[in-house]
Amino acid sequence: MAILRDTALRKIQGIAPRFLPFADVASEAVPLSRLLRLSLFQVTVGMALVLLVGTLNRVMIVELSVPASLVSLMIALPLVFAPFRALIGYKSDTHKSALGWRRVPYIWKGTMLQFGGFAIMPFALLVLSGFEQAADAPAWIGQGAAALAFLLVGAGVHMVQTVGLALATDLVEVEDQPKVVGLMYVMLLLGMIGSALVFGWLLQDYSPGKLVRVVQGAAVITIALNLLALWKQEPRDRDRANRVETHPEFRDAWRLFVQGRTAVGLLIVIALGTMGFGMADVLLEPYGGQVLDLSVAATTRLTAVLAAGGLVGFAIASRVLMDGRDPLDVAWWGALMGLPAFALIIAAGPMSSGIMFVIGTGLAGLGAGLFGHGTLTATMRSAPRAQVGLALGAWGAVQATAAGIAVALGGILRDLILGLPGSGGFRPEAPYTPVFALEFALLLTAVAAIFAVRRKQARLSQTANYVSSQDRPGPNAVPSDPMPPDRRPTGGEPHDHRRLTAL
Amino acid sequence: MADDPDKVWPTGLTLKEAEEVHSYLIDGTRVFGAIALLAHVLVAVSTPWLG
Repeated sequence: MAILRDTALRKIQGIAPRFLPFADVASEAVPLSRLLRLSLFQVTVGMALVLLVGTLNRVMIVELSVPASLVSLMIALPLVFAPFRALIGYKSDTHKSALGWRRVPYIWKGTMLQFGGFAIMPFALLVLSGFEQAADAPAWIGQGAAALAFLLVGAGVHMVQTVGLALATDLVEVEDQPKVVGLMYVMLLLGMIGSALVFGWLLQDYSPGKLVRVVQGAAVITIALNLLALWKQEPRDRDRANRVETHPEFRDAWRLFVQGRTAVGLLIVIALGTMGFGMADVLLEPYGGQVLDLSVAATTRLTAVLAAGGLVGFAIASRVLMDGRDPLDVAWWGALMGLPAFALIIAAGPMSSGIMFVIGTGLAGLGAGLFGHGTLTATMRSAPRAQVGLALGAWGAVQATAAGIAVALGGILRDLILGLPGSGGFRPEAPYTPVFALEFALLLTAVAAIFAVRRKQARLSQTANYVSSQDRPGPNAVPSDPMPPDRRPTGGEPHDHRRLTAL
Repeated sequence: MADDPDKVWPTGLTLKEAEEVHSYLIDGTRVFGAIALLAHVLVAVSTPWLG
């Protein structure tokens, strides 16, 4: 009996670790295959975005004939949670776990929220549209359920992306962060393009049953991909679990994050640039169609040009950042690239030049790619290791809010101009040109803001020499002068808790 | 048995760690259960299958 028990125990011991979702140890170098696997969470984020903003937007208006105002309200709901990203990031930085995990619990919870939202969404939408007997039910059931579904998915997306990016930052060396940022952006873009094509193809001939299958299929794929992405990524850390740490309150952590360094300036730059590039997202296609008389197929290809420009931008940014360029420089070039891009797009209308329009669109994509990559890398580097989640949460909060406001503002501005008295006599480009001009102005401001942040950085790095003896994070605010790698090891290294407990 | 909280059991986990892993499973089951219930209610609203 004893022998039997011993062999059984040994068997369990041999098998068990393979079936537990921890990384074995914090290895020195995380191989690319593991990072690729981790980046799968961005695919599910992209899929959720496409489903909400693209596919379901259309299905609700065209097939389910839900009033357009109600649809835009529902789609805007997830934005409510965007500012909470900073809080989520902070929570994951300071999470208390017997396993020493900080990121996995939040990604898992976010995944469940996303899954739950998608699981009830098709039924909620069918009830909302008064499908069969639902027409007799009180309206609040459908509206409430649909709002809940959108809120769940939105909260899940914010959570998964914020904490997922924080985990990716934890896993790699500072020098390798540009590679990870590029990878995450590319996977987000691929997820969006791929799922847009697949959803479009699946919903070609719409039926309620198909809607249920497609959306719930997305729910299952979300959970499957996120589990695959998470598996054995974050190392278990008994030291961290046993350490008694006193974490600062959110407000103090936030004050520490913004004080003295360039965090606020960087956030302003991100807001300006994101709005500058984002406003045109939904206007480029109607502009091409109404002003330049491009066909539907041609305007769809336009989106491909924009995406391709973005991909080239990410590739270039990863390349030059790995060579040690300052991420803010890259962001500066990106914003600068946006200026001729929107000038070309504006000029293309009166000159009715399709070529200029396409070149402008490609340049805008390229600029947005460089800008996004540069600012995200700068964010990752601007925070000490113990505040990575908070920094990325702040980035995500600003970025998502700015992008949402930009898209809404672009549409509202166009509709306002179209609604002006006597708008029938306007030239066809009249509703669009002011929006593109506003983007031009925003990007110009972003260029100036980056310049100001760089100036401040230079000033801070001059004083950093004597401040660094007091344990201030002077050098890592200036990425051109990266921290020596020995101070920033990978994975489950101890918190830099001297900084935090020094409050 | 419960005298050493840091004892690592054959699974490679201490008691506290195992309880945490278990708590994720329990939470997940509860969430899935609630979602399934809600989805059933919504389906019943549009296509009642009882009565």
